[in-house]
Amino acid sequence: MIQNLRKDNVNPFGKLAFLIVDDFENFRLSMRQMLRSCGADKIELVAHGGSAIQYCTYNHVDVVLCDYNLGDGKNGQHVLEELRHKKLLKRSSLFLMVTAETSKEMVMGAREYQPDAYLTKPINRAMLEKRLGSLIRQRNALFPVTREIDRENYPEAITMCLQALPQQPRYKTWLMKTLGELYCQVGDLAHAQKIYDDALNQRELSWAHLGKCKILLANRSFDQAVDSLKALIEKHPDYMEAYDLLAEGLEQQGKALQAQQVLEKAAEHSPNALLRQKHLAEVAGANQDIDTATQAWRQTVSLGTHSIHDSAEHYLSLAQSLSDLSEGNLDDEGAEKANEALNALARMQKRFPDDETLDLRSRIIQCRVHAGQGQSREAERILQEITPRLEAITGFSAEVGVDFAKTLFRMHQATRARQLLSELAAHYEDQPDVLQKIESLMDEPVGFRQKIEARGLNRDGIRAFESGDLDAAVEAFQNALAIVPDHAALNLNLVQVMMKQHDEHPEPAILTACKRRLDTLKGLPEQHRQHRRYLALQRKLQGLMQ
Amino acid sequence: MTDPNIDFSMVLASAVHDMKNSLGMLLNSLDELRMEHEPALVGSNKFNMLQYEAERMHNDLVQLLGIYRLGENNLSAHIDEHYVPDFLAEHLARYTPLLEGLGISYAIDAADINGFFDEDLLTGVLNNTINNAIRYTNSKILLTARQEDHELVIGVEDDGQGYPANMQHSGTPDFKSLDFKTGSTSLGLFFASSVAVLHQNGDRTGRIALHNGGTLGGGVFEIRLP
Repeated sequence: MIQNLRKDNVNPFGKLAFLIVDDFENFRLSMRQMLRSCGADKIELVAHGGSAIQYCTYNHVDVVLCDYNLGDGKNGQHVLEELRHKKLLKRSSLFLMVTAETSKEMVMGAREYQPDAYLTKPINRAMLEKRLGSLIRQRNALFPVTREIDRENYPEAITMCLQALPQQPRYKTWLMKTLGELYCQVGDLAHAQKIYDDALNQRELSWAHLGKCKILLANRSFDQAVDSLKALIEKHPDYMEAYDLLAEGLEQQGKALQAQQVLEKAAEHSPNALLRQKHLAEVAGANQDIDTATQAWRQTVSLGTHSIHDSAEHYLSLAQSLSDLSEGNLDDEGAEKANEALNALARMQKRFPDDETLDLRSRIIQCRVHAGQGQSREAERILQEITPRLEAITGFSAEVGVDFAKTLFRMHQATRARQLLSELAAHYEDQPDVLQKIESLMDEPVGFRQKIEARGLNRDGIRAFESGDLDAAVEAFQNALAIVPDHAALNLNLVQVMMKQHDEHPEPAILTACKRRLDTLKGLPEQHRQHRRYLALQRKLQGLMQ
Repeated sequence: MTDPNIDFSMVLASAVHDMKNSLGMLLNSLDELRMEHEPALVGSNKFNMLQYEAERMHNDLVQLLGIYRLGENNLSAHIDEHYVPDFLAEHLARYTPLLEGLGISYAIDAADINGFFDEDLLTGVLNNTINNAIRYTNSKILLTARQEDHELVIGVEDDGQGYPANMQHSGTPDFKSLDFKTGSTSLGLFFASSVAVLHQNGDRTGRIALHNGGTLGGGVFEIRLP
């Protein structure tokens, strides 16, 4: 074989720089031996993920052969993500994941970054030479494309792909997939869709099906995207990216509970994807399923240990969830959760020592945790300490503001909390996601158990109203308002039902009750999504009272 | 006494997974041993048998896991386009040290074509079939690939005695009909057939076919994918 290569005078291995990453010395040495006998010359060996990243920071590497399982510390997927994310490894360089797993379950983590190929152990020289040889040939053939991607010259990369398509039929799939991604990257959804349609016209290919669903979502055709993704998952129950995308579509349709179920199923199949756990935590949190959210944040934090996606926000969210769970629960279980929250914050500050805002954010949560455990003196002490610090900052971020308001509510300073939220609403009036958070807190400044109860009563009231039982509706809304008296939509629901009662049996006392309800909403910020409904009902009431 | 909390098939699957990885390490060491002691080991029957049997066990375990996932409804074909001659060459390469050790000659006769299939699933099938061919051949093994009636046909041929008459069919072996007494359970054929069925295009479905003859006059295994 070696003689053949020399005869052709093209030794594809000779010019390239190789990096072998494996925690077993024997394996590193035998891999180097095999590469040498294939004609490779520049070969570096390292034992750990950290040293692989270090090496790639200062040296050019053409081919990385990285074992998935590297013992303690980073695994192969972590190394791949960090190298690609930080652009330490060019797109024109190959990353090969060496794995003992024939099934790729273990490796199916965050699929944002995929290796160029998998090599399954056991590996012998003949096999390595064939496999690597054809991958290197592919790399060379596609170099005009990958070079432009490395230069971030995407339009030129697209041109190169289009040129290569008729010339390189062997790499058609790679070219089509890359074209689809490139078109999406430059925002040319119409051409991306055409690529996926062309591929699908040829036959049913799961990657093209998924690509098409991405375009549907981007074009806000949520119903179509959701149906199409359900069909894809029906055919490919092991296709994790389809689950992630389906959850996004369901969220957009307002079906947050279904979205959570889909993510739970995906996380069960493939629990090691940090971004998926994070997505699950966020959706479960929004659904007030704080147990699930807490568990998913725990996973997110733990998976972050070696990951490029690690962030202090995950620790803060975990502590917030745990604080919600422990609040008012003075059993051992509550104390345990409160401790876990404080520990998570302490670990965060150790891990991210350079971020100066974290201490303050951490104190805001600590204050709530202590208050929730009945340690009011400690809570009060922290509040005294942080209030002047916060006042000294002009224009702090929305997250800090909303979280501080939450603490103020817990510390029985509702007036200050509401004032702060109104200021924030005015300041962030063009940011719907921030406004949403502000509104939720204004409406429901209570623990999640009470929130769930009030939401259930609200649903009962709506159901009673729809079936024409006005008295039952009034009772349900009133019970809900006993828990969350400032809830804008709930107050307006009640007013609407009472006005209907008045239509049927006019009675001045009803109108007085309506007026009392509307008066409680006087301070409703203009940016609140219920504000227009509030004004409309107010006008209607004035008309009735004249 | 049975503990309802134990999901026995899952326990089995994890054990199989572990054994498979162990065997992978063992095969790796065997390859290294062969390289280090090339002249002494080249004709050693004992060493060849060691490697062959280890390969066979490894393949069986891979298949067992595949069938487990199939039963869990957690296995589907992710079909992509691949350049067939490279695919065959890469998989035959894994066996070349063993084939040379056993004195079996090998060749590939593949058309210059792209084919649509799930690479991982086909790898399992090919490994098993090559393994089987090594067991029953006299002296030669041939891998073939061609396009025929809008189907990709991948074949493994040998110059042995061929398949017995009762095995020569092109249907799907029924899992229940697997005979555990004869020593040859046809587990490999069941797996190959299941993989073929996972490959669908429109209303057409993949299948396997066994017959005798071919270029070498022995057994011919074919997997036909739409």
